[in-house]
Amino acid sequence: MDLYVERGEDMQLVVNNITKSFGEKEVLHGVSFTVESGRAMGFLGRNGAGKSTTIRCLMDVFHPDSGNFLLDGSPFKPRSLKIGYLPEERGMYQKNGVLAQLTYFAMLRGASMADAAASANHWIDYFGLGEYKNKKLETLSKGNQQKIQIAQSFLNEPNILILDEPFSGLDPVNAQIFQNAINEFVKEGRLVIFSSHQMSYVEEVCDDVTLIHNGDILLSGDLDLIKLEEGRDKLFLSVLSGDTAWEKALSNAFPALGIIPGDDGLILDTKGRVSQGDIMRWLNEERLTVRRFGLYEPSLNDIFIKKAGD
Amino acid sequence: MRDFLTVFRYELKTQLTKRTAIVTTVILMLVVLVITSLPRFISLFDTGELINETSGIVGDAGYVLPGGAIENAGYVLPGGGTDALLAPIAGDDPAVLFEDRDALTQALRDKDIQVGFVIQENLDYEAIYLDRSLQDSLDTQMAAILTQLKKQQLIEQMGITPEGFAAVEAAQAVGITTVLGRNSVDNYAISFILMFVVYMMVLLYGNSVSTIIAREKDSRTMEILITSTRPSSLILGKVAAAGLSAVIQFGAVVLVTVAGYQFNKHLYPEMVTAMLSGTLTTSYVLSYVFFSFFGFILYLFLYAALGSTVSKMEDLGSATALVQFLFIFGYLIATFAANMPSSAVAVIGSIVPFTSIMVMPLRSAVMTVPWGELILAGALMVLFVMFFAFLSIKIYRWGSLNYGNKTKISRIVKEALRSH
Repeated sequence: MDLYVERGEDMQLVVNNITKSFGEKEVLHGVSFTVESGRAMGFLGRNGAGKSTTIRCLMDVFHPDSGNFLLDGSPFKPRSLKIGYLPEERGMYQKNGVLAQLTYFAMLRGASMADAAASANHWIDYFGLGEYKNKKLETLSKGNQQKIQIAQSFLNEPNILILDEPFSGLDPVNAQIFQNAINEFVKEGRLVIFSSHQMSYVEEVCDDVTLIHNGDILLSGDLDLIKLEEGRDKLFLSVLSGDTAWEKALSNAFPALGIIPGDDGLILDTKGRVSQGDIMRWLNEERLTVRRFGLYEPSLNDIFIKKAGD
Repeated sequence: MRDFLTVFRYELKTQLTKRTAIVTTVILMLVVLVITSLPRFISLFDTGELINETSGIVGDAGYVLPGGAIENAGYVLPGGGTDALLAPIAGDDPAVLFEDRDALTQALRDKDIQVGFVIQENLDYEAIYLDRSLQDSLDTQMAAILTQLKKQQLIEQMGITPEGFAAVEAAQAVGITTVLGRNSVDNYAISFILMFVVYMMVLLYGNSVSTIIAREKDSRTMEILITSTRPSSLILGKVAAAGLSAVIQFGAVVLVTVAGYQFNKHLYPEMVTAMLSGTLTTSYVLSYVFFSFFGFILYLFLYAALGSTVSKMEDLGSATALVQFLFIFGYLIATFAANMPSSAVAVIGSIVPFTSIMVMPLRSAVMTVPWGELILAGALMVLFVMFFAFLSIKIYRWGSLNYGNKTKISRIVKEALRSH
């Protein structure tokens, strides 16, 4: 078993040019990205984009047709590493006891019986389900079953956590508990990847994002830098005015300016040819009441829709 | 090995602590205890009245005549029942005597009596029923009574003393039968019982293994399992656990059966004890243990593989139908082989592993099987177990990736062997 976190070592997972076909249809066309430990990576994409297939290839559920996965330069072998995995289609033994099966899963991932039981107890308690330890899974509510399924991915305190749509179906309170657990793992220097549709959670939790669309990676990297890049040469302007005549005037004053309607204001694309000061001066001359004017920082949702929207 | 043991322990504990398994085992143990103790229960309620009723009457010649023993019978006797020889047949009740056949028939139609006998001067008879069930043998009883009376008549007519006739009847030749190989008569019953144990174990635990795996797939637990450990550890651990739990549960039932039989053995009819105390030779026991064990494991792997091929629990029955059919076919061949152990069908059936599980032990019980056939069958069995263990691991792995439409078994095997 690897001891990266115990030794305080950093990890780097490289996903290198993965292709995968089902029958005649190629669903992954050379997927590549990099994930660093100590930083949560959000893996984003629309339904059918290739997120789960990529994760299943990573977890050796599917074998890629070409490409490879490298952990610090060596082949990534999930069964010989301390990995927590939450599949998209999650399921556990409905008719078995909660503690017994979590202990079993922990043992299958290499823990001794005592350590497995301790870890299972810890995570059941963490998610506030201590009273259900000896109950059959089928007797728990759907929400509590989901928490147990999430708890199984944290067993044995894995160095690498791979979660496929983990927030799906969680209520806000449980989502917050789960988010805290992920944040703790990231702080401890573990490597965390999770796929999601829910941009708000990704924005709150992730340091890095990778966006996949129709089997191609559209962007990948530091979320703040991506936002900065997507907002480059763009300004946001919101004016208190009863009509839109000023927008026409602005366009006439700065013909090089691209004007894009946004939420509650305009996104101004300066294309590097119009300065923020020139626009500020024009606003003063026109005696317009400015509600908000500054650099434009797109939300992850905006970036997602822009990149992955058809 | 470590993961195999983890899977094995978990599956074994799950199987043995399942409420249905415990209840079924306890019920089976109670049932066999009651069955094996039946002679004791019968003896407890046996007051001996029946013996007195059927002890009959002693004729002039000193022979026991079971006269008056047939209950609910009516009679038409020659001379209206005045013949001293025939009078005891009707017993003391004049209501069972009828004037003629019509009166007897009417009594039958009115359901006053269950059976009627019209007896001739020469002691031939006609038995008349209104309805006759499969178990009715009242006419046979009457035939025995009248035969005795006829013999009595003849003894008296020929002036033979009762002692002399008894000596003639008792005379018989004493013979000794020596069987150099197997005596089918000795081993027939016990080998059939043991074969039935294997039959039940395969059907019950084979279905249990396929259900466990199909449920794992249906509930999507499989993806967590195969990303945690190797499919070989999972399949081998599950099959070993199912095998051992079968041995434990059936062992408990067999122990109770043996204990019940031994405890009540002295109360069993001699014919039954003779059937059950067949000579279990070492070679038969070895053949039974080897072929039953490996055959059982072979079928468990087949059931495990088929359990991996279905996406929904409701498809499991149709998926396992083929192997059920194959196994029942083996049972039929074994039944045939018990009567014709040297026939070509029996020989082939005892060599092919899918059927040799039952056919070879049964042949070994009733005949001396040539060593060549035993070695060939044993080697094929081991090879088949290894191949199907390998195949079931591949199919399990294939199954974890394939959900949805039903696929032909030939295509599944091809894809499973091609992938990974």
